[in-house]
Amino acid sequence: MTEFEDQLRRALARKEPSADFAARVVARASGTKRPIAWPNWRAWAAAGIAASLCLGGLGLEMEHRQRTREQGEAARAQLIQAMHITSSKLQKIQKKVRGAL
Amino acid sequence: MIDILAQEAVIPRQAVAESDRAVAFEAAVREHQAMVFSVGYHFLQDRSLAEEIAQEVFLDLYRHWNEIQSKEHRLYWLRKVASRRCIDQTRRRKLRNHVSLEDAPEPFTFMPATDPLLKRFIEQLLQKLTETPRMIVILRYQEGLEPSEIADLLDMPVATVKSHLQRSLALLRRKLSFATREGTS
Repeated sequence: MTEFEDQLRRALARKEPSADFAARVVARASGTKRPIAWPNWRAWAAAGIAASLCLGGLGLEMEHRQRTREQGEAARAQLIQAMHITSSKLQKIQKKVRGAL
Repeated sequence: MIDILAQEAVIPRQAVAESDRAVAFEAAVREHQAMVFSVGYHFLQDRSLAEEIAQEVFLDLYRHWNEIQSKEHRLYWLRKVASRRCIDQTRRRKLRNHVSLEDAPEPFTFMPATDPLLKRFIEQLLQKLTETPRMIVILRYQEGLEPSEIADLLDMPVATVKSHLQRSLALLRRKLSFATREGTS
């Protein structure tokens, strides 16, 4: 440490603020918004995630039901069409049998 | 009924926690006020402005109270925020028309080597440094921090801190030796 650095250190020694400084700071701090506690944030985040999961699950369930209903309706239509075809073929066969007799 | 009892049990606990925090905060202010104020004072050479900045720094600390992990972390946090606020304040308000130390005229009156006047003269010379080198000198000689610690606080490479420090010291030494030599001759 040089003499010059010693002089700098002495010139830059810490100084005290006004005597009432701490009291003023504390008074101002008591008027500021309270710090938000982490547990509250965590609770809100957990609630948000849970709500998102619920909404997502509900959406998936509704989509699944819709798809099942559409598949059922398509199968019903196919069955009706197959029955129509079978019926018309049976009628033709019946006519041929009657013609042969 | 159970809810009412539960509420009554919770409210005093919150009040106690709040009161504990207020007491701990006041103790922290008293412990670190000289450090925070002095960083501002040596940087700005203005008592009222330095107190204003120090107040803002402590209010910031209060807002971030739950994030402070230890006493060491608190000291580090206060130094970092105080340094940044001082530098930002000077840059924002353009407190003075800056004259670099290289361009600053040699002192008109020569300084006797008595301590109080020398101190004042060094403080005046410091004001001629630009913001970052000035803060580096303050953190080095007021707080006694190592260049690596200063680099961490100011988010800059250690080599940059060392180079600022060397350059600033050389300039300050030259100005000071000129004044004291002429003053004693």
